[in-house]
Amino acid sequence: MKKIVFIGALCALSSYGFSQDDTLRSTQNFKEVQIQGEFKVGDIDSSSNLQNSIDHLLSTTPGITMIKRGNYALEPTIRGLNAGQINVTIDGMQMFGACTDRMDPISSYVEPTNLEKIKLNTTPNGDQSGSSIGGEIDFSLMKAKIGASKKISGKVGAGYQTNANNIQTLGTVQYSAKKWALLVNGIYRKADNYYAANRKEIRFSQFEKWNAGANLAVALNKNNKIYLDYIQDEGYDIGYPALTMDVGFAKAYISAFTHKYENKLNKFRSLETKLFFNYVNHTMDDTKRPEELVPMHMDMPGTSRTFGGFSKAKFLLSPKHILNVKLNAYQNDLHAEMTMYPDFGSEMFMLTIPDGVRRTAGINVSDTWFVNSKLKLTYGARAEVNASDITTEIGEQTLTSFYNGDAAQVRYSGNVFAQADYSFTRKVAVFGGVNYAQRPPSLQETYGFYLFNRVDNHDYIGNPDIMNETSINTNIGIELKYSKVAVTLKGFANYFSNYIIGMVLPSYSNMTIGADGVKQYTNIDNALLTGGELTLNWKPVDNITVNSVNSYSFGTDDQGGYLPYIPPFKSINSIQYNYKMWSVKVEHIGAMAQNNVSTERYGEGTTPAFNIMNFSVHKHFKLKKDKAIHAQFDIQNIFDTPYYEHLDVLKIQRQGINFVFKTTFVF
Amino acid sequence: MKKIFLFSLMSSFLFVSCKKDEEKNTSEDSSNGGSTPAEQYKLIDSENAANDLIIELYADSEMIEVGYTPIYVKVKDLNGDAVSNATVELMPMMDMGMMQHSSPLEQPNYNSTSKYYEGMVIFTMPSGMNSWTLDVMANGESVTFDIEVNDSPANTKYVGSYTGTDGESYIVSLVKPNDWAVGMNDVSFMVHKNESMMSYVPMDNFTMEMGPQMTSMGHGSPNNISPSNQGNGYYQGEVNFTMTGDWRLNLDLVESNDTIVSANIDILF
Repeated sequence: MKKIVFIGALCALSSYGFSQDDTLRSTQNFKEVQIQGEFKVGDIDSSSNLQNSIDHLLSTTPGITMIKRGNYALEPTIRGLNAGQINVTIDGMQMFGACTDRMDPISSYVEPTNLEKIKLNTTPNGDQSGSSIGGEIDFSLMKAKIGASKKISGKVGAGYQTNANNIQTLGTVQYSAKKWALLVNGIYRKADNYYAANRKEIRFSQFEKWNAGANLAVALNKNNKIYLDYIQDEGYDIGYPALTMDVGFAKAYISAFTHKYENKLNKFRSLETKLFFNYVNHTMDDTKRPEELVPMHMDMPGTSRTFGGFSKAKFLLSPKHILNVKLNAYQNDLHAEMTMYPDFGSEMFMLTIPDGVRRTAGINVSDTWFVNSKLKLTYGARAEVNASDITTEIGEQTLTSFYNGDAAQVRYSGNVFAQADYSFTRKVAVFGGVNYAQRPPSLQETYGFYLFNRVDNHDYIGNPDIMNETSINTNIGIELKYSKVAVTLKGFANYFSNYIIGMVLPSYSNMTIGADGVKQYTNIDNALLTGGELTLNWKPVDNITVNSVNSYSFGTDDQGGYLPYIPPFKSINSIQYNYKMWSVKVEHIGAMAQNNVSTERYGEGTTPAFNIMNFSVHKHFKLKKDKAIHAQFDIQNIFDTPYYEHLDVLKIQRQGINFVFKTTFVF
Repeated sequence: MKKIFLFSLMSSFLFVSCKKDEEKNTSEDSSNGGSTPAEQYKLIDSENAANDLIIELYADSEMIEVGYTPIYVKVKDLNGDAVSNATVELMPMMDMGMMQHSSPLEQPNYNSTSKYYEGMVIFTMPSGMNSWTLDVMANGESVTFDIEVNDSPANTKYVGSYTGTDGESYIVSLVKPNDWAVGMNDVSFMVHKNESMMSYVPMDNFTMEMGPQMTSMGHGSPNNISPSNQGNGYYQGEVNFTMTGDWRLNLDLVESNDTIVSANIDILF
């Protein structure tokens, strides 16, 4: 233990790395979406997930709901929590979008070609990278495999979707030697405007992007490996029909160096240390919009730079205890500015995020205790310190517009959690847990300056005096696994104090032309968020699988009103028939109406119910020498039903009928 | 690959350190910005008076602009030594052909540190068709300087004349110099009553209500502190500029709940 801490401290910036190990986390509050890598035999997803968009993969994961502003870069929320309330990381690395209008959640800067899997944690587990009160989404990067059976292997794919004239081509190639391996991957995607039901064109919904990644793995010796990761992601001319501006370009550069020590025979099981640097450069653009829709031309560039590292270690204390320790530290710098060009008069300039910086350092300690063959307890804590400041003179000057005090501030936050899993038999298990968590306000919530939110049509101003948001979270669930049917039912309740939300500042006048006013981030006394998910997997006969994923959440504020961004009951049901190398799937996606809204306080309107149907057929062709072709044909929204979901900004209709062709060559 | 990564990592750290240095420099610069050392006064002109005194006229800038203008007078004897006990008076005059008028001013006082007689003139209009002169009298003998008064930059207005609802004529001017920045700024104004062509009286009896407005966007700004009277016709407050650009400061001069004058000052930075 001492040794671990010592090594961790020496590395100064660091985390421990071990491959997915179920014993370490409460499996029941953990969900993985596998994209590449090791698959179960005959898993139909093995080739199709690589061709799916991140947005699609996230939106079909129970517990995740996406905020939609266009046909690109949807923003994930977890169980009714979003933005600063959740952690989103890439391979455990912090990265922050640069856009003030939340156009670039970091999920938009990775592609399935980069990823091994997407991991969702709905509760703290000792591996989290920040003190969030909600869950965490981590995009695990695909690593080159040393000593693979094939020296050269890979996948090449292409896809076309009729609705938005959407093309994509992708490729991933791995070269594997005895001591090292290299993986490179790339993807190009381009789409025109998409069409909602009845061929209604949604203007400004186009996008174009490419993404390339590389991973080099080198085995130093039996137990030590190093990895180098680099990803470059560039999007251009991206339309956001729900917003007043589009995006000229959105670029991200992601790099990491990782050292991994692993020894399955030693009590000191593993140590992973990662150093990372990433940079996001984002520019909004309104020049493609018709002039009558643009009251004033503006340039709104923003940058975000994050660097840091983590070190995590796993230690087998005894056959019954596994200890995990993680240290991490990082710094994030945000800069966002706006230049406005009126038809008459001089140009205007302001900072919308006045050069904020945050330095964070934290430690996680958790223990997994196998009490007996039936009971497993996991408990631990995270402590974190955040130092925030404004780094430039003009930034500090800007802050004086709404705040008299010192820009610099230090906050402490963290969480403590305990989770129990009890298996009555191999087939029946129950689980439950409780955690107390705090999160600091984000840099936007602290220093933001007239950040426009289209949902409630208000400009938002930060609040340096805002208090940490705290929550007491409980979860409970039951899992049944029989040979033909598996059922999981999970419930959660999240009781907040100092819930952070925007409240109207009556004396302020809005900066954005056409906005309804100004809000400032404020704590409200309390809020309550409850909900759950029910998943069902049923195999009535060998070739047929019935799947059902249902989720619901419900949130109220201190006045008994309804919280915003809360998805209604949603159900995704499918029946799949597999025969030899064929697979046919019919899917129903439906949501109930969301009438639990507080229009006056939060600006949200109600959303009607919808039901859509999808159809999909896959064929897997096995070729000689371990090669294969995977072909897929989908019809999405078969009945061309007009619909939108509750978290869709401005209630812009989603895609109507869409024919999808995809093929992947595996070698 | 390795190199790229190392380079990017190194450059990131370099980046940080560079930026810090720059910031420090700028903050030092701005801390001196407020007070102007005497060496920075610019010589406008110099004349010999009949009583053998050399009178040198200085201002903050070689180019004199409409509005509030600090004036610095240096009086020297024939040996070139500064004279500290002269009686110095200013008399600005606008010759408009048909008529002549003066302007609001503050008569100079000797500043023993800087060794200048420091006063102020508010030039209420630019030279152009007509011309400004400034008579400087030292110990009873006066010299006349021709003053070229330039208009303020386009889309700015630093001084304005208004006829109040009480029928009187008022001059409202922005006190300079100003070093505007985004955020909170100290701001001062002067109010004079135009009693006659030659007499301008500083007014201290008003309550001033200030509302800044971004003219091209139509929005205001929060947290402004309306100027309050400081004596001698001065009003001081704080203005919040949330961005750069064209700002209009709407100033209502209120006396016993009646708005006597609705003035405006236009600023561009």
